[in-house]
Formats: sequence, C-alpha cells, structure tokens
Amino acid sequence: MSLLSVRDLSTEFQSDGRWLEAVSDVAFDLQRGEILGLVGESGCGKSTIAYSVMRLLARNARIRSGEVWLEDVNLATLDEEGLQDLRGRRISMIFQDPTTALDSLFTVGHQVIETLQEHLDLDPAQARQRALELLRQLGIPAAEQRLKAYPYQFSGGMSQRIALAIAIACHPQVLIADEPTTALDVTIQAQILQLIRRLLVDEQGTGVLLITHDLGVVAQVCDRVAVMYAGKIVEFGDVHSIFSNPLHPYTQALLNSLPSKGIARGRLENIQGRVPGLADRPAGCRFHPRCPQAKAVCREEVPPLKRVSALQEVACVLYD
Amino acid sequence: MSSTTNGQQPLLSALGLSKYFPLETGLLASLRGDTSTVKAVESVTLDVYAGQTVAVVGESGSGKSTLGRLLLRLLEPSAGQALYQGADIFGMNRAEVRAFRRQAQIILQDPYASLNPRMRVGQIIREPLDIYGEGSKSERQKRVHELLERVGLNRNHERAFPSELSGGQRQRVGIAAALALSPRIIIADEPTSSLDVSVQAQTLNLLSDLQRDLGLTYVFITHDLSVVQHISDRVAVMYLGKIVEEAPTETLFTEPKHPYTQVLFSAIPLPDPSRRMNWDLPKGEPPSPLNPPSGCHFHPRCPAAMSACSHTVPRFQAVGRDHGVACLLHEPEGANT
Repeated sequence: MSLLSVRDLSTEFQSDGRWLEAVSDVAFDLQRGEILGLVGESGCGKSTIAYSVMRLLARNARIRSGEVWLEDVNLATLDEEGLQDLRGRRISMIFQDPTTALDSLFTVGHQVIETLQEHLDLDPAQARQRALELLRQLGIPAAEQRLKAYPYQFSGGMSQRIALAIAIACHPQVLIADEPTTALDVTIQAQILQLIRRLLVDEQGTGVLLITHDLGVVAQVCDRVAVMYAGKIVEFGDVHSIFSNPLHPYTQALLNSLPSKGIARGRLENIQGRVPGLADRPAGCRFHPRCPQAKAVCREEVPPLKRVSALQEVACVLYD
Repeated sequence: MSSTTNGQQPLLSALGLSKYFPLETGLLASLRGDTSTVKAVESVTLDVYAGQTVAVVGESGSGKSTLGRLLLRLLEPSAGQALYQGADIFGMNRAEVRAFRRQAQIILQDPYASLNPRMRVGQIIREPLDIYGEGSKSERQKRVHELLERVGLNRNHERAFPSELSGGQRQRVGIAAALALSPRIIIADEPTSSLDVSVQAQTLNLLSDLQRDLGLTYVFITHDLSVVQHISDRVAVMYLGKIVEEAPTETLFTEPKHPYTQVLFSAIPLPDPSRRMNWDLPKGEPPSPLNPPSGCHFHPRCPAAMSACSHTVPRFQAVGRDHGVACLLHEPEGANT
C-alpha cells in the first residue's frame, strides 16, 4: 500500500465571489523511501497540492473534491482534532522560508522539545536528549549551545536545519518539502538535500514529496517526477525517463529552456506566451495555446493522463 | 593578474577596490573609538573589455552586489579606484559623473521592487530621457515606443502600471529604462533570479540580442552558475569580499583551480539524473563577513587546506593564459613560507 495516495484532488480559491480551480483532478501515490518531485513554474498549483494534503489551506481556499489517503486515513475529510494529532507525528512539512515555521519568541530548543513532548511519551530529560541527537544528526555544530539560541541568531541554512529537525522529530512517515532550498546558497542547498536524501529517505524510509521549480534539484534527488502545468499533472514518470525521454511538449520545452542544456552562448529555446491565470485557463489541453505541436482536437478535448510505458504517463493526444 | 585583450584598454576596471561598512556609526561608538567594519569588498582588481560579458559569481555575503554598485559609483570606495575609459570615476566632478551615468546603467534583480508602482510603464522608460533633456517631447515619445519594441513589449504596455505586468514583462521594462540613454555598459545584478526558467530563457535571449545589436558590455552579477556558463566570456569568483579566481568561462568550467571554485561547481544541481553529485560537500557555512577567518578566508571549509593557509593571505597570481587564482596551492615553489 502507498504511504500517501492522492485521488482526483481538485482545490479552488475564491476571488471576487467566484470559485476558481487552482488544482484539477490531480492523482499520485507516494511510496515509502522515495522522493517524489512535483515540478512546475509559478502558479501551476504545486504548492496548493501541498497545502491541500496538509489541510493548511488559506481561508479563501477549499478542497472541492477528491481524497488524500495517508495509509488508512482520508486527510481530506478528517476533522481538526484528527489533523492536529497526525501533523508532526505522521506527516510534516517544511517551507521555503524556514523562519515561518519557527516562533521568534522561544528558543530553538524549546520548540524542538515541545514538538517531541506533544506527540511522544518522553520526560523532559529524554526529550532534551532526543533534541540534541536530532540537531547533531542534522549537522548543527555546538548543538548544546544552539538549543539555547533564538531563531534570529541562525542563518537561513541553519534555520532550515532546525525546521527540518522539528519536522522529523517524531519520525513522520511523510515529509512535504515546499521549495526547501530555494532561498539558500548552492553549497548549503546541497547539504540540505543530502540530509533529506540520506538521513530521511535512505536510512529512515520516509516518503518525501518535494515541491520545486528547480529541475536541477529534481534530477539530483528525486526518484519519480510529476510535471505540472496550469493545475494539472501533464507528465509523470521515473526521473531518468523524464529527463532523457520527455514526452509532453511542455516538459520538452521546459528542459530545453535550461541554460545548462543549451550550447554555451547559443539561443535558449523558450515557450511562447505566458502561463494563464486561474480565471483564463483555456479549454481542452491547457497548454495548447503555447504548444508548438497543437492540433485542432487539443482546443476541445482534455487529454487524460495515460500510461505509455512501464514507467511513464503523459496527458497529450500525440501519444493516443 | 588582469588580462590584456589585444593590447586594448579595458572599458571599465577596478583597481584594488575596497568597500568597508562601519558597523556602528552612532556618537557613542565614535566616542568609544569603535571602528569595527565589515569588509564587503577587499582589494578587487578586475578588467572589463568593451563588448564582453564578465560574470561575477559568489554566494550571499561574497560582496558581488557591493562591487557592482562601486563600479557605477553608487557607493564611495574605502580604497582603490575604478577606471572608466582610463578616468577614475571617483575623481569625477558632477558634470563628468552625469556623463558617466549616461554610459553606465544598472538592471536589478527584483523588477517588483525596482519599478515605481505609481508610474506608468511609459513614464518609467521616459524618465531618464527627461532627466537628461534628450530631444523634444515628441522625440522622447518616439524613443519610448522604440524601446518598448526593442525589448519585446508594445505600445499597449505604455499606459500600464507595473502591477499589471508579469515578472518577465516587468524585467523587460527595467531593461528598456536602462537602455533609454544608449549606455555602453550595463551592470546586471541577478537579473533573472526571480524568474521562472522559461521566462529566464526569454530574458537571457533578449540580453544576448541587445549585446549583439547594440555592442553592449555586461557585468553580470549572479549566483547561478548555469546562467554564467551560458552568457559570459569571463568569470570572476568571489568569496567573502575577494576575487579568488578569474578566468575565461570555458577555462574556469573545465579547469577550476581554486578549491572554492571546485566546491561551488560540485554543488550545482545539474539537470541530469545520470550525473548525480557525489555529495562531497564543503564543511560548514560561509563565515560571517564581520569576522572573516585569518589567512585565506576559505581555509576553515577548504578540503585542501594546509597549515600555512590559516595565517598566510594568498596572493592573486596567474596560473595560465588569462587565468588567475588566489590560493597557496598554486603559488610558485618556495613562496608559501
């Protein structure tokens, strides 16, 4: 059984009295011990999926339909009490800006220990010991002193390590990481990604849903990838297939627009036009107005995600 | 140290350029004689030749943006000179600075923050022309239309406010405003860092076209090495205020000499799952520029550090054609005592 199973999830936002769909009929499974990348450009709905799964949507947003199974529990319909019990214990999240997850008025030690005592039956000394171990595991030097420090005394990279320590304190089965290294320098990014890959996924078997716009990060750490465009998954597959044999014209265009793919100083391929807003997503395939291979049928019919090989699924009429 | 390109004079150079920011500037601090400073840029020497793109790369706190501002005289240096066509920009009088600013412009990272939200796009682009009293009103108007078209926008955008545009379109407005006075050199400070990859590709293509058509010179400040490889002729790598290595782009990417450059390259996440990084990562984080390590600033994190590195400041010296590095490993025999 999958750890996390998202079924036909649609999430909408209210704007000027209208409900607009940000995520449409998204489905995927996350397995134990894998990193599943959810990749796409700004506004594609990838973070909305994360917030829907965690049930942390803003007040002007709601899950319209669909199910989110964390093993035997449907998070989409769970009450607040049930959610409180699961969050931090069985499913956790880290964010792009780690300071949003930390309370500036309390020491870091207080916050890590609080999380541990909330969910695990530990006395204060045991909790403190476990907190120290966590900080050390996450490569935080001088962990004893650091426990007594306040969040403002930490760099961005150190704050993200602390946020990660809190998120994984109770060994959750699932970690959702929303652009966890986007605000960090490249050497620090590599360190954090290494922690997620080695410590969490390879050693502890956590399932990680990694949300990112960075295709380099995806290629380096993910096992499988879902490519999103305008609220839908357009392609799904193992990381090697997605990068060596991208099928959807959007995936192809995205990969070709990377500077490192192109010959130095050559022209980068780019995608005509821009991502449509929530209110003006086109009918049919949502990519068709920008697609170099669009046909008449693409304007009318919504292509379903179809399996085209053992490892790859694509939502495009070219593969019918 | 600095390269000579066919005996040509550089368009813009930095000579031992330094910028120290005082930490405490209050009366009490001055009475106490508290003079601690952050050495944001320390003795930087760099030549930029006409028509070239020089990339300045580094992580947060490396001083790359401060260097960019010094090169435009947006900051006064603590020491050193910056020469534009041989004239020290810090020794220029008002009229000379005004003439220099016409030729040297800046593009900033965040097109959301750098455009006045209350001005329409047309006004933003026209403002430099108004300030410099370029031509008649109708000529200025015509120039605005030319510039809009030049950067891939159209007349419909002229009446728009920045908030009505996408990130990529806003960056185009910033580029059009920078081009208004027909500058020769543009300092671009992380111009594509806040853009999605497909929009980044459009913007990089635009910058390349403009360079080709208008003969522009760029100083490209960025932390993104894949962009560097794509757009630049030469690269200078900065760490804690200093240039640690400088070389033609291809040389730097194929034969990086400084351990920091090597570490930086090994940490780039390549978009290729068949070439995964070996996770041979540098230890720790960049130290605070408030209190940089002695000797070579990189020595506490350096995988190749020797005992001398903790007390000897490495000199910047040539290791190949147009290739310089500041590292004791590459100093000639007997120099590292």
